[in-house]
Amino acid sequence: MTIHLLHIYDRNGNSLFAKEWSRKKSSNLTKVEEQKLLFGMIHSIKSFVTKMSPKDGKEGFISYTTSRYKIHFYESPTGLKFILLTDIFVGNIRETMKKLYSSVYVEFVVRNPLCPLNEPIRSSLFETKLETFMTGLSFFEDSN
Amino acid sequence: MQEDATNVLFELLHDELISYVYSNDIDMKSKQISILESHGFRIGQSLAEQLTKDSSRFKDELEIMKFVCRDFWSAMYQKQVDNLRTNHQGVYVLQDNCFKLLKRISSGKQYLEFAPRFLAIPCGFVRGALANLGINSIVTAEVISMPAVKFQIMIQRV
Repeated sequence: MTIHLLHIYDRNGNSLFAKEWSRKKSSNLTKVEEQKLLFGMIHSIKSFVTKMSPKDGKEGFISYTTSRYKIHFYESPTGLKFILLTDIFVGNIRETMKKLYSSVYVEFVVRNPLCPLNEPIRSSLFETKLETFMTGLSFFEDSN
Repeated sequence: MQEDATNVLFELLHDELISYVYSNDIDMKSKQISILESHGFRIGQSLAEQLTKDSSRFKDELEIMKFVCRDFWSAMYQKQVDNLRTNHQGVYVLQDNCFKLLKRISSGKQYLEFAPRFLAIPCGFVRGALANLGINSIVTAEVISMPAVKFQIMIQRV
């Protein structure tokens, strides 16, 4: 079970943070292109999922699975989008992503007066805390 | 770990006040730290009155310092000062290894140059509280590695 990468976007699609842990095959796009592609796709899936839902949905798009990886999505009430790419053996980690948002992002970015809102995150304390959080997860395995 | 709404509010307001004082269109360049410190001084005076209104008079200077390290620090930052040292000749050093207002900013050297602006008001708090309890002092703060802070209090004896 592994975590491959994490992206954080603000409500306008600007990439605030991106981190890769293990990625054997790159997508041959530049960083910016890939970020835009990811955001656009997630945005489309999100609205598609809500439109096609046969019942009134509560949460909408949570994740999608392919034969090789799984993408998990969490959007905070403030429009912040967290996208986590893991392998296929990880279950529903919505609670984990909520905790990631509240105990790492809110604590060390929102409450850091030197981190301007909606701008890429430069705080190394945030990175350290994120790393601790991720490596502490039961499904994180540093397999290279 | 749910934080008290009033503590969060104080920190957020404090952050905004600092960014206002340091914003470019205010005519306060080079006086920013002393403006913040004097705000802290005035607040510290009232805080001391508020926090000691039900207790008896302090025996001596050391008792007052212990009040600052324990009760005052607990009321403001929900923890006590980690270490108090004195040379018994009017200089006291208060050490806080994880100062609340800095602990979300960095642990280490990043943003170190911004630390003084976040310590101006806390220094003012101490100076104001001491002043209202009868002690005139000069209070400065030093940060070598975030978020540990050393506050140095120099008593001014007339």
